[in-house]
Amino acid sequence: MSLLSVRDLKVHFPIKRGVLFDRTIGHVYAVDGVSLDVERGGTYGLVGESGCGKSTLGRAVLRLVDVTSGSVEFDGKDLATLKGEPLRKERSRLQMVFQDPMSSLDPRQNVESILSEGLAAHGMIGDRKARRAHIQQTLDAVGLPRGALSRYPHEFSGGQRQRIGIARALVLKPDVIIADEPVSALDVSVQAQVINLLEELQNDLGLTYLVIAHDLAVVRHISDTIGVMYLGGIVEEAPSDVLYVSPRHPYTKALMSAVPVPDPEVEDSRERVLLKGDLPSPANPPTGCRFHTRCPWRQETRCDTERPELTLVGDGHKVACHWAAEIEAGEIQPKSDAVVGATTAEVA
Amino acid sequence: MALLEVEDLAVTFQRKGTAPVHAVDGVSFTVAEGQVVGLVGESGCGKSVTSLALMGLLAKRGVKVGGKALFDGNDLLTMPGSTLRDMRGSEMAMIFQDPLSSLNPVIPIGLQVTEVLKRHRGMKGEPAEKEAADLLDRVGIPDPRRRLKEYPHQLSGGMRQRALIAMAVACRPRLLIADEPTTALDVTIQAQILELLKELVAQQGTALIMITHDLGVVAGLCDEINVMYAGRVVEGAARRPLFASPTHPYSVGLLGSIPRLDAPRGEKLKPIPGSVRDNIAWADGCAFAPRCAHRTDECLDGPPALVQTYTGHAYRCVNPVTGDEVEAVTAAATLPAPSIVDATTDSDGEA
Amino acid sequence: MSAKTDRIDRLAELTARKDEGGHGLWYEAFRRLRRNPLAMTGAVIILLFVLIAILAPWLAPHDPAAQTWLGEIRGAEGFIPGPRSGNWLGVDGLGRDELSRLIIGSRQSLLVGVVATLLGFTAGAILGGLSGAFLGMFGKAGRWVDSILMRFNDMALAVPSLLLAISVATILGQGLVTVMIAVGVTQIPVFARLLRGSMLAQSHSDYVLASTALGVRKRRIVLNHILPNSMSPVLVQATLSLATAIIEAAGLSFLGLGGANAANPEWGVMLADSQQYLATNLRLAVYPAVAIIITALGFTLLGEAMREALDPKLRK
Repeated sequence: MSLLSVRDLKVHFPIKRGVLFDRTIGHVYAVDGVSLDVERGGTYGLVGESGCGKSTLGRAVLRLVDVTSGSVEFDGKDLATLKGEPLRKERSRLQMVFQDPMSSLDPRQNVESILSEGLAAHGMIGDRKARRAHIQQTLDAVGLPRGALSRYPHEFSGGQRQRIGIARALVLKPDVIIADEPVSALDVSVQAQVINLLEELQNDLGLTYLVIAHDLAVVRHISDTIGVMYLGGIVEEAPSDVLYVSPRHPYTKALMSAVPVPDPEVEDSRERVLLKGDLPSPANPPTGCRFHTRCPWRQETRCDTERPELTLVGDGHKVACHWAAEIEAGEIQPKSDAVVGATTAEVA
Repeated sequence: MALLEVEDLAVTFQRKGTAPVHAVDGVSFTVAEGQVVGLVGESGCGKSVTSLALMGLLAKRGVKVGGKALFDGNDLLTMPGSTLRDMRGSEMAMIFQDPLSSLNPVIPIGLQVTEVLKRHRGMKGEPAEKEAADLLDRVGIPDPRRRLKEYPHQLSGGMRQRALIAMAVACRPRLLIADEPTTALDVTIQAQILELLKELVAQQGTALIMITHDLGVVAGLCDEINVMYAGRVVEGAARRPLFASPTHPYSVGLLGSIPRLDAPRGEKLKPIPGSVRDNIAWADGCAFAPRCAHRTDECLDGPPALVQTYTGHAYRCVNPVTGDEVEAVTAAATLPAPSIVDATTDSDGEA
Repeated sequence: MSAKTDRIDRLAELTARKDEGGHGLWYEAFRRLRRNPLAMTGAVIILLFVLIAILAPWLAPHDPAAQTWLGEIRGAEGFIPGPRSGNWLGVDGLGRDELSRLIIGSRQSLLVGVVATLLGFTAGAILGGLSGAFLGMFGKAGRWVDSILMRFNDMALAVPSLLLAISVATILGQGLVTVMIAVGVTQIPVFARLLRGSMLAQSHSDYVLASTALGVRKRRIVLNHILPNSMSPVLVQATLSLATAIIEAAGLSFLGLGGANAANPEWGVMLADSQQYLATNLRLAVYPAVAIIITALGFTLLGEAMREALDPKLRK
């Protein structure tokens, strides 16, 4: 059984207006019925563009935002229904790494105090000496010098700050780490250091990851399984390699073809699906398939009336598209102006 | 002759009581009409400062600009302010990273576009409005007439960047400088914007300087690429040779750091150790030396000279990386590209 | 030593950064403040002002209340002696030494300024802190508490200080305490709003979320993270408030609400007294006015410099 399993999770934020008393005038459907399973010791990558609800999903799993409905099974307990003290106690086992290492560290706390805060909150390692030794050990594990303890976040570079953020999560010896855009605020050369660090820590400590990112290349690199999110729902889920070689959902195809590859040979020869328009508002999502307003493969029937379920199409490969089989078989073609082929690119 | 010839451009920031900062330290490159030149590097490498210096947008106080930047034979750096102002927007234009802060929030888009037309092309009233709508239409903004009346906050990020591009190309500038134009945007929107820029260059013969940290973006767009580090160009080459045989250890390191979309799972990344803070001054040797795996004793014998090869490849390194070593770092196996349109059927046949 | 180790040493030397580190943000802000000449000017003015106020009884050359030279003025048919060797700033219309009155008067201004600001700051911080803590941490019930506190605050904000002073004066009578309360109470909503807003902004920050994810208790998050990080704008406001409090107190005294007490000269009262001599002895109005302006300027300079030094955008 998987360590973390999310079932039909919904997070709807009320939109409130009013002079004296707030009235709810609508909802933002940030996460709207997501199910996923993260295996112990594995990495589940959640990818999608801004506004698709991936960060909210990560926060909902940790109960940092209120869950509207659905369940989050973690090691036999439903986190979605926990409250108060039991929830607070459970937090030590699921930790989070944030996107912006500067804003996620209290500027007035030095590293030692940042790292010991969680230990104190859970009454772990009461002895001061033992606590310090444990913190030192964690610093070593994330590759920070021991002298870092008495320093403040603003005295570190971006990459080092992210290491502090990772150390803060690690120090509680969690089972699961949810990393929300862990490298997107970092320079390219530093990104790779942090990605490698996350991988090494997973190998050494047997951590389970839920990695949330907008960069498909990063997510593919680090994950075993990838879920592609669009407007509050998962549209496709597949093992990492399978997703690249045979994406089945039109949105995945578009997303994948849009990610630039640092290789002119590939760039010049690949086909590209260009999507028209922008992401619709999650406060007023389209009916039926949420992607139908921008989908180059859109059909006259079903797409705008019926919301497709995530269905198994292959070994661990799930797609939420009514016409996945027909598209795969080549019976349905995309609108011709949506695909930019290698022919339009100049050969240098 | 090239449209823009930048020679030995140097920008030094000096504030009272602090050591001078050499943000740009002897940068040279040329841009021809219809050519796309990329300036690539990480934060603090001086790529944005370079563009601001070319546009004459740096503050006057506490900034020293040296070298030459010949635009059509005239030096942009010594030009009187009024001439430069006339050229900005008409002859050369710039697109910034954050479209929201580059647009005036309290003025409708239309007025901001017609303002440019009025200033540089003397257009007014209905013709100006029509031209503005045409411009928005050309950059792919649907329903341009209605959009003209809207304010920046009513547009999405992608639309705002399109509007900015429309303003930038309103006077058909001969040189366009794009400073991280797609960094704030989602990848699918980024693909749209890059496609638009490609079209503009192809149709209007605009010269484009593309400033970005993303090697993937330049791989598909640029003709010539200059990799910058700590204020200097450390490697410059045409697109294909640069990616096929990167020579400077920094370029090699960057390529090894990027997770490739088409790499099979399990490939380990090869990051560059340290951060851009761990530099030494160029005067003391190669600024990259402290982070360089390829470092030798000679690296600290003063700044390395720019080596030009007969193939047009240029690098600034005393111990360059050779072909075999590059392969060890970058040439991983790649997965076959997925087919979007089934190869067995003709994609042009249906709509 | 071989050339190689030589070079390695050299690289280490070149890359070695000045390594002191370990300084918190308050320290860094203080360092920036010390390098700012305007801040130092303000600080020197304030220091002088405070020193004069403390040492006033010893500094004042004459008794500020004694009408020593009244006879002289009467003898000269209303001519008031200007600056001269015995009275460096001359005497006032009632034959008292002007310099001594100015020096002693600084005590009143300092007292009113500090007490009023302290009153406003303390009460405002409690009100705003409670509001911010409830709003940031305790969901729906918290929003209720916040709404109620803030509506009260809005009402307080609507009352002008003059009206308040007159009302207080009808109860407590005219006097220094009345002025302090009036000036202080009008500052409360300013501080409350500021702290609440600042706390609200901080409670949405990532590091608060991170602490919640760590399982840190809400009370601790408020006290250890949100509150300390919300204080800088409030401290800046307090410094700037000292300036306005001194001016306002002088204004209320000028209108006679400070209570006339000949033994305790006050700059506002002095200004009021000088009115009848404006045509003939302008200097009597200029002295207290300049004293008020310089003191207020000192606090304003320091406050503005503090705002700059504590600005998170300047942190690098």
